[in-house]
Amino acid sequence: MNKILISINLNGEDRFIEIYPNRRVVDLLREDFKLTSVKEGCSEGECGACTVIFNGDAVTTCCMLAGQADQSTIITLEGLSKNGELDVLQQCFLDEGAVQCGYCTPGMILTAKALLMKNPCPTEDEIKVAMSGNLCRCTGYEKIHEAVKSAVKIYRQKMERGGE
Amino acid sequence: MRAFDFFAPKTINEAKALLNQYQESASILAGGTDIVIEMNEDHTKPDVVIDIKKLKDLEYIRIEGDKIRIGALTTFAMISSNTVIQDRVRVLYEASSKVGSPQIRSLGTIGGNLSTASVAGDGVSAMMTLNASVVLESVGGKRTMPLAEFLDGKGFSNRNALQADEIMTEVFFDMPDDYTATAFYKLAKRKSLAISVIGAGMLVQVDEDGICTKASMRGGCLARYPLHFKEAEAHLHGKKITMNLLEETLPMLHDAVYESAKSRPWSVFYKKESVQGVYRKLFVTILEQLNGKSYE
Repeated sequence: MNKILISINLNGEDRFIEIYPNRRVVDLLREDFKLTSVKEGCSEGECGACTVIFNGDAVTTCCMLAGQADQSTIITLEGLSKNGELDVLQQCFLDEGAVQCGYCTPGMILTAKALLMKNPCPTEDEIKVAMSGNLCRCTGYEKIHEAVKSAVKIYRQKMERGGE
Repeated sequence: MRAFDFFAPKTINEAKALLNQYQESASILAGGTDIVIEMNEDHTKPDVVIDIKKLKDLEYIRIEGDKIRIGALTTFAMISSNTVIQDRVRVLYEASSKVGSPQIRSLGTIGGNLSTASVAGDGVSAMMTLNASVVLESVGGKRTMPLAEFLDGKGFSNRNALQADEIMTEVFFDMPDDYTATAFYKLAKRKSLAISVIGAGMLVQVDEDGICTKASMRGGCLARYPLHFKEAEAHLHGKKITMNLLEETLPMLHDAVYESAKSRPWSVFYKKESVQGVYRKLFVTILEQLNGKSYE
């Protein structure tokens, strides 16, 4: 087995790594880059816990070989906060009490972030469809949905003031 | 995960050359949502993985004359967000927008879905309903065949006609005209992240008087490949499409499902009944489209 070279823009930084190809992107992020916010749940693309933002789309990293990450841009939860300040979505999840055990939370927040990056003013239905690939076994989803809605509201206010 | 060598060719020719070199020992990765899971569980053990997902040349939805041509590496997210597919090809729109989850739809491709040819592949049911054809390429050349023939064929994996050195590059079908209605319904345990229990597709074409000139009915998960409701199709042909006529086919669907699935008693009793409820929903959609479009 030959090693492969992976060049990746990870949370805004260009990174290079030489690895054996028989690992998945979730392994690459957790084990090689020590980004442990990326959680492995079902290992078969059904729970969304391992979601990251890959070239602008939310994707499940348990269904991707590490080699697929070459030449890509990836954002994990570690890449959301800036200068010690939480992202609006992270703050909203805290404020709304949308976190219980927390295992699904990184995936939830990144899925919502990918949606808002493409569509800053989604409708309720668009939020529901976008979040439908992330399972939570604690909260019953209501508070998670409220958190995303309140983030949308804050983003909208910021945009109206000519911010982000 | 077992050791393998990984290649990510930059051109289709490079991919074909690699496949020609490694033959059966290579697996193609066209999105990865099936094969990576199988590899992780050691069900599939390729010596070589050829990742073709970065071949942007195979990522397109084109209208050429009366045909819609879709590149094999077009994702379900791209298909379901395409306005021509949304407006003209409801069967494919509905099927594509219900595959897996948003995350899976951003990775999984139509060519991967058709080549994997799962019993529950929603892309397979939709494309069979559309009587689609596929294009296969190798260093030796290019061949085109109806999807039905592709699924029936004996290739290197006994799933379909793909030879060890071949790549699916395109799937194409007749663009439904103003007198054609199509619909798809996915029956599953929940709305998202669910494998189809029945993935039912329907296409009906009528003439100016509302007389059926073409009917196609295919039910996924009811046989190894989408079950062909031939008797029901024949019953509609040449007659004026009404709810009464459509409902006359329900016993035929029941019998066809029973015949196909009777060796699996744990599913047949549910499926022979539920197939009728599923098609009733499709009939409503089909009639709405026909009445809205062509005659009234």
